[in-house]
Formats: sequence, C-alpha cells, structure tokens
Amino acid sequence: MNTYMVKRLILLIPLLLGVTLLTFSLTKALPGDPVFSLVGERAQPEVIEKIRKELGTDNNVLSQYLGYLKLLMQGEFGRSYYTNRHVVDDIMTKFPNTLKLAVGAMLIAVPAGLMLGFVAALKRNTAIDRIISLCAVSGMSVPVFWSGLLLMLLFSLKLKMLPPSGTGDLQFIILPALTLSLPAMGILSRITRTTVLEILDLPFVKTARAKGIGEIKIHLVHVFRNALIPITTVIGLDFASYLNGAVLTETIFGWDGIGRFTMEGIIKRDYPVIMGCVITGTLIFILINLVVDILYHYLDPRVRIDDKSR
Amino acid sequence: MRIGDNLDIKPDLAENWMISSDGCLYTFTLRRGVTFSNKRTVKAADFKYSFERILNPGTKSPNTWVFEKILGADDFMKGSAADVKGIKVLDDHTLRIQLKQPFSPFLCLMTMTAAYVVPREVVERWGADFSSHPVGSGPFILKEWLPNRTVRFEKREDYFAAPAKVSGIIYRIIPEDLTAVTEFEIGNIDVLTIPASEYSRYRNDAKRSLFISSLQGLNTYYLGFNCSRPPFNNPNLRKAIFLGIDREKILNTIYEKRGRLAAGPVPDILRKWDEPDHHAFDVQKAKAFIQQEGFDGITLNFYTTADQEIVDIVEVIQSYIRELGIQVKIKQLEWSAYKEAINQGEPDMFYLGWWADYPDPENFLFPLFHSSNHGPAGNRTRYTNAVVDSLIERAEIVLDEKKRWQLYKMAEDTIVSDMPWVFLWHKTDFTVRQPWITNYKIYQIYSMDKGTEISLW
Repeated sequence: MNTYMVKRLILLIPLLLGVTLLTFSLTKALPGDPVFSLVGERAQPEVIEKIRKELGTDNNVLSQYLGYLKLLMQGEFGRSYYTNRHVVDDIMTKFPNTLKLAVGAMLIAVPAGLMLGFVAALKRNTAIDRIISLCAVSGMSVPVFWSGLLLMLLFSLKLKMLPPSGTGDLQFIILPALTLSLPAMGILSRITRTTVLEILDLPFVKTARAKGIGEIKIHLVHVFRNALIPITTVIGLDFASYLNGAVLTETIFGWDGIGRFTMEGIIKRDYPVIMGCVITGTLIFILINLVVDILYHYLDPRVRIDDKSR
Repeated sequence: MRIGDNLDIKPDLAENWMISSDGCLYTFTLRRGVTFSNKRTVKAADFKYSFERILNPGTKSPNTWVFEKILGADDFMKGSAADVKGIKVLDDHTLRIQLKQPFSPFLCLMTMTAAYVVPREVVERWGADFSSHPVGSGPFILKEWLPNRTVRFEKREDYFAAPAKVSGIIYRIIPEDLTAVTEFEIGNIDVLTIPASEYSRYRNDAKRSLFISSLQGLNTYYLGFNCSRPPFNNPNLRKAIFLGIDREKILNTIYEKRGRLAAGPVPDILRKWDEPDHHAFDVQKAKAFIQQEGFDGITLNFYTTADQEIVDIVEVIQSYIRELGIQVKIKQLEWSAYKEAINQGEPDMFYLGWWADYPDPENFLFPLFHSSNHGPAGNRTRYTNAVVDSLIERAEIVLDEKKRWQLYKMAEDTIVSDMPWVFLWHKTDFTVRQPWITNYKIYQIYSMDKGTEISLW
C-alpha cells in the first residue's frame, strides 16, 4: 500500500508538468493580446514594446515556459495582469469559499441522494420509485441558472428568509449549496438505485436471508456496504469538480469562488490567473482521485493492493 | 481640477490657473492645506511625481496618453530623460506645465482620474501592491477591495472640501442581473443600474418609477464599416446601408427609447454648432445605390459581441440589409476576441459604442476619425480623410473657441457625408434608487462623481 501511494505521488510530478505545458501552450494559442488589455489601446508602440520585453512575451515560447516553471518552483503564480495582485493570494482567499460551497452541496446531495436511491430500489416499480426517478432526472437535467433563480425568488424575494447573494457564513451558503447539490443528488440517487438493485439479486443476499438475518440488517450491512464503491466514485468526481469551482452557481449567487475567478481570467486573457487556476485545479483533481482510490481500499478488500503481490 | 454640473472646468486641488497667450504654458496655483488620507500635506512636487509615474513605462499605465501632450513626455517615456522637462515645480503651491504645442482641451485631461495626485512615499512603500493600499486626496478612503466582489469606501473627515454626507459607500459587483434586481427589491442595495431586461418593468411600476433617474450619457453607438478595403471603401455602399436601416424604429422598439438618435459622432450636449443634416430612412434610394454600384448579392461579415441586447439589435440590422439584396453573415465573439478582431480590421462591419473620457468634442473626433489612430487607438473603421485630419489638427491648436467650433463643424459635416459609420444613438443611463436616498444624480463622466452629495433621509 505504501509503495503504491508513493508511486502515485511520484506520478504527480510528470502529470503536473504535462498540465502546465498544455495550459501554457493553450493560453499562447488564444486570440487576444494581453499587452493591449494591460495598457489599453492608446499606448504608444514603443511603450508596448517595452512592456512586452518586461513581461517577456517577446521571448520565444520555450524560454517563456521555462521562466514560468522557475516561478512555479518558488511557489508563485505571478501577479494578475489586471489587478496586479498575487494570484496565489487570490486563490488562497477564494479557495476556502469554493471548499465551503462544495462541502455544503455534498452535505445535502450525498445523504439525500443515497436515501432516495435506496428507497427507490427497495420500492422498485411502485409509484414512489417513479416519483423519485422523476425528481432525480429533473435534478440532473434542470440547469442551475434556472433552479438557482427559482430558489432565489422563493427564499429571498418572497419569503425573505435568505440573502440572494454574497459570500459569507451559513445563511449565504444555503441557497447556492442547495442549487449546486440538485444535479449531484439526481445522479447519486440513480446510481444508488441501480447498484442496490444489482446487489439485491446477488446470491449472498439470498444466503443472508436464508440465514434468517433481518431485512433491515441485510440492507444496511450487506447491501449498502457493497453499493458504496460505485457511489464513492461518483461522489469523488462530483466533489473534485465542485472544488474547481461552479461557475454558473457562483455567478448567480455572487459567490466569490475559484470558478468565477477562472472565468474572469479567461475572459480578460489574464494568463497568470488562468494558469494558476488550472494548475491548482489539476492538483485538487488528482489528490481527490487518490483519496477515492484509498477509500476503495477500505471499502472493498478485493481492491486492496497488496505490496507483496507487486 | 474637476468637471462641474454644466460640463465646465471647475477648480478643485488647483485653486486657479493661468494660460499663456500662446496656449502652451499652464500655471496652476494649488489650494493650501490639502492633505492626503495619510495626513501629509499635498505639495506641487507630488503632482510632478504622480504625472511622471503614469508616464513611466514601469507603471504599465493605460493612461499615458493623458500626459503625452506635455513637453518632454516622449523623452521621459523612452528613458532618454530623467524627468519630464515640461512639468516644473515653481514652489510648494505652484506647478507649471509646458505643452509641446497648444492643445485646447488640455484642462479636460487634468480632470481625469489619471491626473489624481498620489504620495510618493506610500507608492514606493507598497510598490506593485499600491493599488491594494491606495492613498489619495479625495473624500473617501478605500477600506476594502475584493476584486469582482466589493469595493468599500469610508468617508474622510479631513477632506479639504465639503465632506461626504454618508459614512461610506459600498460598490457591490453582482454579475447576474436578476440577482442584482432581487438584492435591490429586498432593500439590500440603495442604487441600482437598471438592466436592459428590467427597464420596462421599472418604468411601468407606479412606485418605483418615481425613483428612476436618467441622464443622456456622453456616448455614441455606431455601426462601423471597414473603410480601408473593398467593399466598404466605396462610399456609396456605406451610404446605401445607412439609408437602408430604420434607426429610429430600432431605437423606439427594441431599444425601448433608451437613447436619442445620433445625427453625427458628437453627442448633442457637446455640440456647440448646428447639427449635421439628418439622413432619413429611404429603402428606394438605398437600393438604387446598390444597383448602380453592382453590389447586388454580395455577402458581408458582421461581427458582434455575445451580449444578448446587442445581438438582438444586430439581427434586426441584418434583416434591413438583407432587404437591400445583400447577405450578412453574423459572427459572435467573446469580448476580447471581438476587440482584437475589430482592432485588426477583420470584419466588414461591426457594432460598437464610444464613451467620453472628458467632455470635449475633440474626444469624439480625434481618436475616432484621425488617420493616425487606425485600429486600437479608436479609429477602428480605418477612416482616412486628409481634410478631416487637418481640420482636427487645426482645432487642437486654435485658442479661440468660436473658431474651434467652426472647424469641428466642418470636420463633423465631412465625416457625416463620408459615412464611415451608421450613427445610431446616444444611449441614456437609467438607475433606480430606494425612497430613502436623496440628492442622488447620475453623472455624465465617472470622474465627476465624488460621492459627497448623495445622502440618506
């Protein structure tokens, strides 16, 4: 297990290098000259040249890339072309917000999704199952900019219970988290339903029944535990993507997270911001996947990676 | 210096000023006892430092053009001079600026935010982080700046003029219009810029409509033709398109009368001369031009941003042009790609607006139509007319106002008859405020709003 983890961690290095190279070339290929967005459009050509030199954008792409890697080694992403602020600092202030929102959404989506899926599976082909399926499919397919605005109309404008926008503590989190949780809840309940149905047909459940174990215990201990592997995968993927920011939800609720920060960076050709966000995002994605893999190991002995066998 | 309510130049940090008879030498007497928000007294040397800081390429300011008229600015920017020769500190309260040649709207430049004074010691202490810890001489202190989120200002008690009537002002950046409207409806926002989609609702709301403010902005929206290459290097095609679009109808319907029809590039408030002849909507005449020049059945590319309001307008324009027997291919681009494309002269036609930096007709003629400004500097239609160039240049150095207006009238008339643009409209700004806000008004130019007038019941 330990060698496995070390291997995975070592693999991170070439992976991140590849990502930096890829995003770097992509930002270079984007149309739009950052120098113009920087000094405006009435600047004299000499001044523009001078700034190109200073930013190093007149060097060849390879030396620009090496320069960027050098910066990264110092734990720096550079300064935003626009606000002149350190990208690292901005990511550090925005990431906790994104984390709060992602955790909030997961705290709603996971229990609700699992419960709904489980109930739907046990009551298969009844009215309850169909209603749950309908809700799940709606949750997955209704766009957040619609559900979000509806929730805002109801809870902020009509009931005046929750603030419509802003970044802050619990009362600010509820609406965006609820909005963001709906699609995940839908997917989770569908996956849970299918998995549980599959497991219910497996011989070991019959064996358990034959042994006279009570239904509740069968469901909770035997079925649920075995259903956890695919569910964990989905949760991990969703969580990782939420940690990279939920642009639409953040935009609707004015939530100051990574998603909108990245988006603004892209729109303004703010290369340091784009690069910083993509690299941080990749790192998070890889780490979450690693955590999910380790969870597998605890959830299902068959997935356990035996050091001796390798 | 500041811009007064009638768009005239008013004293601010400069108490008074003298202009030499040749129009090149400006001597400013500075108000005494003005302090920065760090309590230090503002001196003439601070202005020299602040102006040179903008010109210094290391600052990477987009506003170097504000000071480029000053003698020695070019040498300083190229690094061949240690300071700007034309900015002289005579004593602590007297500053003298010498221009390369007369520039009639020079005082306007001194009202711009780029000409605000900053204390050297604070700039040097923070370096690149100065923008997060700014110190200035204004009525407010920046307390908090969270990009794309909020900007919070706190009133300064020791402001040199009448202090603000409110204890602070918070600007909230809310990306989604409907969210901003909701915040306003439940009373979390005092003043809201009305989104286009909500305009008619507020207009028709008996209570809210009492609290709507409107102001005709210093702007001109236009349809630009690429005049530097076929087919739009042919003025008759430009004329045909101009005559074939019913601007008034677009303005009154999809634009919901949120503006005034433009007669030429210069907004009426700034035009001190007779307005150019209007060209009325006339499909027959337009078709005749197209037949005559043989442009039947050609295809034009028309670039636009992805903004829904603009796309709606552009599509209507497309259908008008189609009526004339010309195909139009619309290409939607994201803002910076769009800007780049029109700067490079990629499209045949594009939709754009120009907002004033200062209230002078020069700001609507020189950047937009002088041939030295092709591309990003403002003349995106690449319009070139030696007569217009020389009229604009002469107006810059003429000191007599009447003569200047005459020159501008000739320039504007020539531009209107050349039609590098379809002059669309001057957009009106609308805001709605809560009943408890008083003394509120919209300003034509952002630098006019010092925030000291607005108050609460």
